[in-house]
Amino acid sequence: MSAWTLRKVSGEAKLLLIGIPVAIWTLLPIYHLVLFALSPREQAVSGKLWPDHPTLHNFSMVFHEQHHYLSHFWLQLWNSLLIAVAVGAITLFVATSAAFAISRLRVRGGRAIMNLALFTYFIPAAFLAVPMYKTMSSYGLLNSQWSLILAMVTIATPYSIWVLKQASDKLPLELDEAARIDGASPLQLFRLVYLPLMTPSLVAVGTYALLLAWNEYLYAFLLLSDDRSTTLGVALGSFLSADDSPWELLMATGLLYALPPAAIYYAFKRYMVSGLTAGAVKS
Amino acid sequence: MASVLFRNVEKTFGGTKVIHGISFDIADGEFTVLVGPSGCGKSTLLRMLAGLEEISGGTIAIDGQVVNDVESKDRDIAMVFQSYALYPHMTVADNMGFSLKLRKADAKLTADRVAHAAKILNLGPYLERFPRELSGGQRQRVAMGRAIVRDPKVFLFDEPLSNLDAKLRVAMRAEIKALHQRLKTTTVYVTHDQVEAMTMADRIVVMHDGRIEQIGTPLELYDRPNNLFVAQFIGSPAMNIVHGTLRRSADAAWVEAEGGARWPLPASVSASDGQAVAYGVRPGSLALGGGAAAVPAEVIVVEPTGAETELLVRVGATQIVVVMHGRTDTGPGETIALDVDQASVLVFDPATGAAIRT
Amino acid sequence: MSTLALGSAGTTEPVGPAKRRLSPWQKWGLILVTPYVVVFAVFVLFPVGYGLWLARHPSSYVRLADDPVFTRTVFNTLFFLVVGINLKMAVALFLSGFFVRTRWWIKALSLLFILPWAVPSIPTILSIRFMLNPEWGIVNSTIFRLTGADGPNWLNNPQLALSLAILVHIWKSLPFWTLILVAGRMAIPGEMYEAASVDGATTWQKFRFITWPSLRTLYLTSSILSMIWTLGDFNSVYLLTGGQPADQTHVLATLGLRYLRLDQVDLSMATVVCALPLIIPLVWFMMKRLSR
Repeated sequence: MSAWTLRKVSGEAKLLLIGIPVAIWTLLPIYHLVLFALSPREQAVSGKLWPDHPTLHNFSMVFHEQHHYLSHFWLQLWNSLLIAVAVGAITLFVATSAAFAISRLRVRGGRAIMNLALFTYFIPAAFLAVPMYKTMSSYGLLNSQWSLILAMVTIATPYSIWVLKQASDKLPLELDEAARIDGASPLQLFRLVYLPLMTPSLVAVGTYALLLAWNEYLYAFLLLSDDRSTTLGVALGSFLSADDSPWELLMATGLLYALPPAAIYYAFKRYMVSGLTAGAVKS
Repeated sequence: MASVLFRNVEKTFGGTKVIHGISFDIADGEFTVLVGPSGCGKSTLLRMLAGLEEISGGTIAIDGQVVNDVESKDRDIAMVFQSYALYPHMTVADNMGFSLKLRKADAKLTADRVAHAAKILNLGPYLERFPRELSGGQRQRVAMGRAIVRDPKVFLFDEPLSNLDAKLRVAMRAEIKALHQRLKTTTVYVTHDQVEAMTMADRIVVMHDGRIEQIGTPLELYDRPNNLFVAQFIGSPAMNIVHGTLRRSADAAWVEAEGGARWPLPASVSASDGQAVAYGVRPGSLALGGGAAAVPAEVIVVEPTGAETELLVRVGATQIVVVMHGRTDTGPGETIALDVDQASVLVFDPATGAAIRT
Repeated sequence: MSTLALGSAGTTEPVGPAKRRLSPWQKWGLILVTPYVVVFAVFVLFPVGYGLWLARHPSSYVRLADDPVFTRTVFNTLFFLVVGINLKMAVALFLSGFFVRTRWWIKALSLLFILPWAVPSIPTILSIRFMLNPEWGIVNSTIFRLTGADGPNWLNNPQLALSLAILVHIWKSLPFWTLILVAGRMAIPGEMYEAASVDGATTWQKFRFITWPSLRTLYLTSSILSMIWTLGDFNSVYLLTGGQPADQTHVLATLGLRYLRLDQVDLSMATVVCALPLIIPLVWFMMKRLSR
């Protein structure tokens, strides 16, 4: 073997030496999730690395709501979906309007609003949770799904505005001027020029808000305590209240709960990566 | 078709005044070029006319109506931007028809107008393409097409050829001029390139530091510049300027430069013996010769460009540019004598820059 | 020579001072920015104000200081931050060098690598929790199979449990920061490395003189931002240990909930206020960086 080939092979080996542990580290908990989901009760708690008889029975039990923790599975799944989509849509509406006003219409105080948004983004949401809980209580919204929707919109909007503003600033101002001279009113500019050109960023932001809402636990847990109105994520947490809960059913449900975000992320990966990291790397 | 009147127009950015009381008229159908170095205010003036900048003082009137408080879209103007500003997500046809679509015009009317403009500009084959698929020159034409479809009272051009390569620029200049001859719409054209100004304008407005230096036809500005700035700005290669002292004898006048060189002048010049002057002679007004009043010079560089030859020579400590027709055998280091076409010589006051009558 | 052609006057009387009416552009600017302003006022300003008001009694802080759980929590949080951030960012820096390479299998791996971050916390962290179950979790089962000895009771030992929570946090957030640093690396022009190769630089030298100077600012900013988010990481601790055993593994993010459950809302708020001296300077730093 020539020296060059030797170097190539050892280089490759070094990379594998990194790659394989990284792969194991990354996938192990997820593999374990799948493992449990596919194992019948006795096998799951046997500590085996692969069930002797993998089964889909757990999923069947979930779909048929055949356990008292799962009695509202479909309703809760629907709640999660509804809330996530609502958050995505409303965040998109609020953030796009604000970004357009700040970036293109140069509204007075735009800079201050941008800074306020940035500030809210940086404060960890976990610290806002209890005040938000008390606030929603005083607004009378507790246990209404609107409380969670509005709370998540509040959390998702700041970063969305920032991403949209960065993307918006890249559009040449002359396009707006040409449109103005062509006779466009502010709304026509927004609808016919701005929105079409911002589509990739809009997809990134909408997806971000949607996933944020779907994955949320703490706020959902605090704001929606009724089993019928709460999300699937919170329902998963309720399994922990007993020591002998059917863990395999929990994992099966958890797998179902984890699939949509993964699928959506991969579907919109192109938009997500460029949209979300560009803003960060700019710093 | 409309006249444009500027009356004491001023512009202030923050605390700084950038346009100082500009007044002039543009007649209906005239092709007026605003020219000047970067920062002279020409683009700002154009944008105020377009309604993209607020007018800090004075008035602008289009077709007899003051437009200070009128929105851009109601001024009946069309603008071609330096970067074309085409809508990337729309086809060429949609780009050109956008203004009509905004007014909810009849679809057939829009299609007709777009087809008409496309025909004038040879854009027919490109109507369904997107801007990113077009070359710079084609995009430029689409931008012009968009303006034509508007059928406005005034066309505004903001350095439209700056982004094109040299050859294309020459071709597009002719196209724009031809378009103007065909449509006869009042046109205000901004550029920093004096060649564009000279070749395209009916009248040129030379601007500098927010003020008008001179207004006139191209040849007026070339032959009779009011001051040093205009003299050196208009004409390429630039006018040669020699500083020296005016000397008179009984029947002749000349300018004595340092080093003893004598530059000939008509005796009718309105300056007195001993006065400090700036002597201006264009490269094309100098020839290789040997007449009585010829000025000796040493050749530094010879640049043949085919039909002409450009020579860089030294007279005393001053470098002079000479442009002559045809070829020459002269080489670097040789001594030659320069004949001056006295009729075209200009003299300026070095302190104020103002022209002195000759 | 024509200069000013003082043409026909008459129709060009100057207009008085500009009218104070808002142009449609300014009007719509205000209208479109209103939804966010309303959201902010109703759901940020008010709750924050309310929370601060609830935390106004000095006695709350005295009680906090007297509560051993609180002091333990502060220590845990600082430990979590220092170890978690540095470990995570160092690994992210290292892995970013790995993931910039263009081998096909590395690209495939990077697709999988993002999963911990993209997938919701509840199922995955609970999965880890079960892996660590002392009786039937696969970790201890495997240890038993390999060595015949019983593995430790992972989550019952406060130090172990906290460290594991840190690992969980790293597992979850590492992909995101690695991605950021990869993007940072891609922004470095390849020619610099080629020139360095020609000059005879070793891998370490290339890192030290080319990569690190370019990445340094991004690394710092990312670390600061990561600190803020780690402070707010509720899920990693809550879902893994619930703060147990005996409230020994709480961090500031989870402590608020504990007091809420004990019906001591004022202490809950006071906990948040105590976290502020840590958060505000970090946020201030980030604002300076990013608000341009």
